[in-house]
Amino acid sequence: MRRWRYRPLQAAAVVALAALMTACAAFAPLYYRAMQQALTEITIDNAPVLDSSVLISVTPSDEFSSAPVLPPEVVANKLPAEVRSDFHEPILSYSGRAEVLPGERTDPVGELVWRSDQCDHLEFTAGACPTATGEIAVSPADVDIFGFDVGETVHVPGAAQPDGRAPVLDLKVVGVYRQVPSDYWFGQSITGRSGVVSLDPPQVIQHDVWLTPRETFESDGTRPDARSSSAGFLIDQVAVGVDQLLELGPVIDDLAHAEPELGVTPANVVSGLPGLADDVQGQIDQSRVTVPLLMAQLCLLAVVVLWLVLLAITEQRRPEVALARLRGRGRRGARWLLLAELLPITLLALVPGAVLAVLANWFARRVLLPGSVPFELGWPFLAALVLAGIVLAGVTAMAVSRVAREPVERLLRRVPPRTSGWALGATEAVIIAGAGGIVVVFATGGLDGPIALAAPGLLAIVVGLVLAHLTTPTAALLGRRRLRRGTVRAGVSLLDAARSPATRRIIAIVTLASALAVFSADALVVGGRNRVTAAQQEAGAARVVEVRGNELAELRAAIDEVDPDGKQLTPVVRVLPPGEQAIGTLAVVASSFRDIALFPGGTASEAVWGKLTPPDVEPIDLVADELSLDVDDSTLVSHRTDGESHPVTIGLDLVNRRGETLHTTFGVLPEGPADHRRFTQRVSCTEGCHVTGVWASTLPSASLEGAVTLRNLTQRPSGEVVPLGPADEWTPYDVREDGTVTPSSNTPDDLTVTFDGRGATPMTMQQRWLPTIVPALVAGPLPPSAVGNRFQLAGLDGELQQAAQVGTLPRVPASPANTFVADLDSLQRGHSVLATDQLEIWFADDDPALLDRVRTALDEQGLAISSTTTLADVRRGYDASAAAWSLQLAAVVGGVALLIALLVLVVSAVSGWRFRTRDFAALRMSGVPRASIRAMAVAAQLPAVLVGVVAGGISGVVGAQLAMPIVPLFATAPEVSTLDLDTAWWAVLVAVLAALAVLGTGSVLIGRALAARSELRRLRETL
Amino acid sequence: MTDLGTARATATGLRVSTQRLVHIYRSEGHEVAALSGVDLEVGAGEMVGLLGPSGAGKSTLLSLLAGVFRPSAGKVFVGPVELSAARDRQLDELRALEVSLMLQGAGRNLLPYFTPLENVRFAQGVARQSGKDLPEPEEVLAGVGLVAEAERPLSELSPGHLQLAALAVAMAPRPGLLLADEPTSQLEHRARDLVLERMAALNRELGTTVVLVTHDPDVAAFLPRTITIRDGRVGGEGRSGEEYAVVTPDGFLPLPLHVRDELLPGTLVRFHLLEDGSYTLLREEGGTDA
Repeated sequence: MRRWRYRPLQAAAVVALAALMTACAAFAPLYYRAMQQALTEITIDNAPVLDSSVLISVTPSDEFSSAPVLPPEVVANKLPAEVRSDFHEPILSYSGRAEVLPGERTDPVGELVWRSDQCDHLEFTAGACPTATGEIAVSPADVDIFGFDVGETVHVPGAAQPDGRAPVLDLKVVGVYRQVPSDYWFGQSITGRSGVVSLDPPQVIQHDVWLTPRETFESDGTRPDARSSSAGFLIDQVAVGVDQLLELGPVIDDLAHAEPELGVTPANVVSGLPGLADDVQGQIDQSRVTVPLLMAQLCLLAVVVLWLVLLAITEQRRPEVALARLRGRGRRGARWLLLAELLPITLLALVPGAVLAVLANWFARRVLLPGSVPFELGWPFLAALVLAGIVLAGVTAMAVSRVAREPVERLLRRVPPRTSGWALGATEAVIIAGAGGIVVVFATGGLDGPIALAAPGLLAIVVGLVLAHLTTPTAALLGRRRLRRGTVRAGVSLLDAARSPATRRIIAIVTLASALAVFSADALVVGGRNRVTAAQQEAGAARVVEVRGNELAELRAAIDEVDPDGKQLTPVVRVLPPGEQAIGTLAVVASSFRDIALFPGGTASEAVWGKLTPPDVEPIDLVADELSLDVDDSTLVSHRTDGESHPVTIGLDLVNRRGETLHTTFGVLPEGPADHRRFTQRVSCTEGCHVTGVWASTLPSASLEGAVTLRNLTQRPSGEVVPLGPADEWTPYDVREDGTVTPSSNTPDDLTVTFDGRGATPMTMQQRWLPTIVPALVAGPLPPSAVGNRFQLAGLDGELQQAAQVGTLPRVPASPANTFVADLDSLQRGHSVLATDQLEIWFADDDPALLDRVRTALDEQGLAISSTTTLADVRRGYDASAAAWSLQLAAVVGGVALLIALLVLVVSAVSGWRFRTRDFAALRMSGVPRASIRAMAVAAQLPAVLVGVVAGGISGVVGAQLAMPIVPLFATAPEVSTLDLDTAWWAVLVAVLAALAVLGTGSVLIGRALAARSELRRLRETL
Repeated sequence: MTDLGTARATATGLRVSTQRLVHIYRSEGHEVAALSGVDLEVGAGEMVGLLGPSGAGKSTLLSLLAGVFRPSAGKVFVGPVELSAARDRQLDELRALEVSLMLQGAGRNLLPYFTPLENVRFAQGVARQSGKDLPEPEEVLAGVGLVAEAERPLSELSPGHLQLAALAVAMAPRPGLLLADEPTSQLEHRARDLVLERMAALNRELGTTVVLVTHDPDVAAFLPRTITIRDGRVGGEGRSGEEYAVVTPDGFLPLPLHVRDELLPGTLVRFHLLEDGSYTLLREEGGTDA
């Protein structure tokens, strides 16, 4: 104790460093473990209940049809006993078929179910929960549609008797339930089927699930026709940690794939737990190297610093070692003299180090990691402590031995001999060559994997050591030159720096610490930036809701009602053609989509987006149930390939409000010229149609020539005439193989159409409102079938439409890499929306109030939201990953590295302060002003710090360039890569400024403190 | 005067002798001969001062006698042990039991975090382990008059007391040879005299051979025998105030400094035996009698 009290600051510094090293070593397993637990919790939390649970059901197949349905307890027992404690009590159930008798086409069919504790998970809008045999609860829809109200009795077939007869089972409705959503239902909805015809044959009208007590299924009397029994196990999140989940995966997998025993009805096991376990295991594997490697760098830094500090301290003990040797204690005695002083304090540091690690882990669990991660001190923590103890003892013993084994004559020298030349020492050369070699291998791509995280540290070691080595002779050279020129202050400072062994270690350590800080800051920001852009790409917008059905008009009406300006909402239709290789189309309203959608990495210019706009032509509107058309001055003739003439049919293409094309035939023209014909045709355009095309047809391969004038298109019943001209509102058709269709007009109301067909039929000329070629933006290459910039994309109706690339996008938000983007209005003109198209609304922000307004507006239009995704949700998904948490650790590493470097400055000052203050006192004695001494004291260390910070900054940036491409940023790579590994210069700048602030300020304060202690009485000090 | 703890341990002084002792410092390609053939005899229990100008080789000689340096040539005997041939372990044992070296500057002889008492105990450690009968540390300190200061921190002691503490530490294992390098430098007169008195008492009462290096004429005057080292050789000897030139084993006779000023290099001299058995030194070539 007395020895420590004599040099309390040194003891404190050694304890601090050793504690830091211990904390780094002990924190790694704690954080690693906490990360695994957080990962497990998040994975289970985010998984659908069906994935995080086990559902075992047994349905006797035909082979076992004679077998009775197993009691659910027996089914539950199929779950291996060793994992039962990982789940809550099983939810047991029976399920049977309930076909309402007499079995007419209008009599519904559905399920009769019992689930344990079902009454706790239902609300009753009428009546009560069934408790007696034969009682059932039905849904409100069943009441509305089928009239199964409380008090009614329905008759269903009971289980078949041995004689094959199926008695009638009477079920009395005693309650009308509403399902209370919770995990209890395993994600199943027991309503929504009432009145709906089943898709599977035989197609029958369904009723919702009826619920009945267990007694109904186990009655001694007539029982329902039970089809299966099951046991559902909800995972117990409190009981299941990472170990349990990883054990569960294979157990459940084995259960699901177990070979059925002979004569035993096989069980059907539904669970996503094996997949979740695999996912967690994958991320654990990913972080297995990352976390220890990051912490190992910090440990290594702490050990190196501790080693240097111990060297400085033992160097200072040379007179004491010499004394021990002179008193006959020999080398061993001298070693014990130092060990007795230093070993207890380094080993004592294990305690604060362990506490520090636990506190850091507590902070990480509370602040950095999501969920409620349990506190655990496992054997890896203790092993790390033991390892830290061994390393600390080893480092101390080595530092002590280095001095203790020196000959007495060297120990007695007041100034120990030092090399100050340019030549490298053997140890330095080996370290530089080794670290440099590894860096070169990194740079040339010879190494990959998470070990790349060590690249910045190794590079900094090389740079730091070389710089440190060059600095001493350089400073001496410059110092002497300054003195010769009469610049005393600078000369003395430089010589002081050259003389001090601290200069070398300060440069080396500050370079390494600054490099780690810069790399950590860059890695953290680059990682965060990539997670943000990946989330933006995946989400597409602040919020995206999917809407059920394909009623686009109603959807747009709802959007217009909530956001008429298109500033907050935009409709999107996702066309998903069948086939894995098929390229999808994203139909958007260009003007609002560009503002609302998120484009990580930028998007096309406004002008390019403007090119998507459909033709600015008014459609030819009509509302009619019957149309009349005058066909005048026809010269149309058609000749078959055998030369015989063939009549020509004239018609119009009409598109109704739903976008469906009505290919409407008006009449057949007589062969040869005709002056006038008036045709009348019934049409389904009472809700309105657009005239989108004029066509003429004949036999395939027959020629078609001549012109015809169309006028007086009259709507019934209004009697209004719809003008078809002028000609410039029509798009001439000109395809070399097919021929031409050309419009002309004598008056704005008339339309003369000239056909020159070469065998194609029908030949159609489209109204300009209907785009013949859809302008589109393309991400990625055009399909191989493209000609120039022309290609085909899938329209809303699934049909391929001609399209032209008018611009490119780096990526299409929330879409696969090669999606086409086209204007919704363009695609909508003349085309209906398929049931397989996905209707979406994209939000500018995820304001819940806005969502509520949209929900209400959709509801008014008879639409409902099927799912909603927010950018924040997706971002959370990316953030809650081992990769992200590992990078968080990098920030800690950077911060602690600076702290360690600051400690080096402090320890260097503390270990040599008596000598330095004595030197300064001597200068004061010889008349050097106090201000000059202060400046010299500061200047002796500050340049080394500045050189180290700059060199470290450069090493960090270069190291990041080497390491970042290999550092895992995501648990699994996003489908569409938005990877951007450019250096985060502002983060680098902040890190360098932080290093300068911490180390530069520390250096200045230390220098001033030394100067303040350079009193003349120091000259008389002998102790 | 105190009994210096002699009741249980009386040191036997060690004889010290050197033969043609040469020591050369080698540094970065340069060689400097610090000692160039020193022949020295110090009898057991003697108290001898090594005098001479700075750089003459006094401290080097002291370090050679302590076994800190190995001589470049020649031999050093401390008691029966020839130091130049001794192994490290033998030297350690010798330092633990028989030879104490007081370094210049009191602080360099003391562990700074120990009190004088603890320092003495530390210095006795190995000797006590080897079974040597030693006085208690308190007695050792009493022997140099540091009873009151025994358990005070070193930082609270005066320079004189520190030097006495260093002396106590050096004498703690009751060595046969005490080697002291400038033990009174940086001390004021009273403290210097006190330290010298204590050393003399130790020499006298314990029989310890004492060899000390000094620049101080007053200290030299205090000592019964002084040896002047000049240019790496024994340049003269003083006994009870008389200065003598010492004939080397080779028969050379270094001239005293004041004579050397008279007899310039190249001067021929002749020894003339007088009737009473003494010699007269005669300068030839018309010179006068020396």
